Amino acid sequence: MATAKEFVARVNSIDGVSGCLLVRNDGVLLGQTIDDPEVYSTLMLISAGLSRGIMEKAGFSYCRHLSFSRNCKRNFYVFPIDKYLLGVVQRTDAYLPDMLEAVYRLVGRVSSDNTAAAS
Amino acid sequence: MKQLIDELKAIPGVVGGCIYSSREGLKETNLPGIFKADRLDAVGKHLAKLYSAGRMSFNDLTDVSLHYDESVVVARELQQGLLIFAICDPAFNHNLLSMSFNLLQEEFRNGAYARPATVAAAVAPPVVTRVPVLNARQLGLLEDMKVKLGRVLGPMAGFIFDEVSEIWERQGGTSQRLGALLELLDKEIADEDKSASYRQLIATELHAFQEG
Repeated sequence: MATAKEFVARVNSIDGVSGCLLVRNDGVLLGQTIDDPEVYSTLMLISAGLSRGIMEKAGFSYCRHLSFSRNCKRNFYVFPIDKYLLGVVQRTDAYLPDMLEAVYRLVGRVSSDNTAAAS
Repeated sequence: MKQLIDELKAIPGVVGGCIYSSREGLKETNLPGIFKADRLDAVGKHLAKLYSAGRMSFNDLTDVSLHYDESVVVARELQQGLLIFAICDPAFNHNLLSMSFNLLQEEFRNGAYARPATVAAAVAPPVVTRVPVLNARQLGLLEDMKVKLGRVLGPMAGFIFDEVSEIWERQGGTSQRLGALLELLDKEIADEDKSASYRQLIATELHAFQEG
């Protein structure tokens, strides 16, 4: 994986991204471009565990990302990458398909199994 | 309450849905049998926790979506402790599902799903009283057409049919001009295959009506 800060800076430069953060699965914050990263990192850790649980119960194979949609349109996305979690806050005027594709492309480059880049 | 998830299933790409109560567990499902009830109950439990965690971080949270390789799970809280969730193909229309969730949530809050269906039907206002030129039999046909449109367009069908029939009425809609109504509906459906399906669905009613 590229250095965490470089990776976070690259994700942050994607059109439509308002801010992002990278967290290791033990809760250590590796880099961020948003305020109050603790609020997001806690949610990311909880949601990663629950999404795995849903995956096992429903018989699905791989969680590409999960999202929290908000009335204010600053939706929040979580991308599991090996033993890391990438959190992305969407800008209110973002064009979602392009933003997600760009994030997937970057995630695919740093992920060891490259599953996310397969689409 | 099953009506809620049956309406969702009419949306293209939606495999089916469930209603999950934090207190009572899985209440309803219309997913294929491959999804076992005990597993859906566990999925509902995880989703309820996920939704609660999301709500703690974002007080304006609407939906939680989980995008897996082969399916997408979308959850919405109807009221505290009561969750509706849909399992969809990856290519489903998220905006349409969100809009349907909004409508169902609104109807649910207004108590539309609290009454038994027969009572609801009995107290429902006459649907097309604004078309006084049509008799009861003709109004019945319009109501049948409206219901059948739901099988093609999902929960939005009722609103769309009302809008279209208002336009048709303004343009001089009568039972002799049902073809014009169908043409207006075709424009709203905007999909040849779906239009053809809809015409097949209402063929019996139209034929019976025209036979008198």
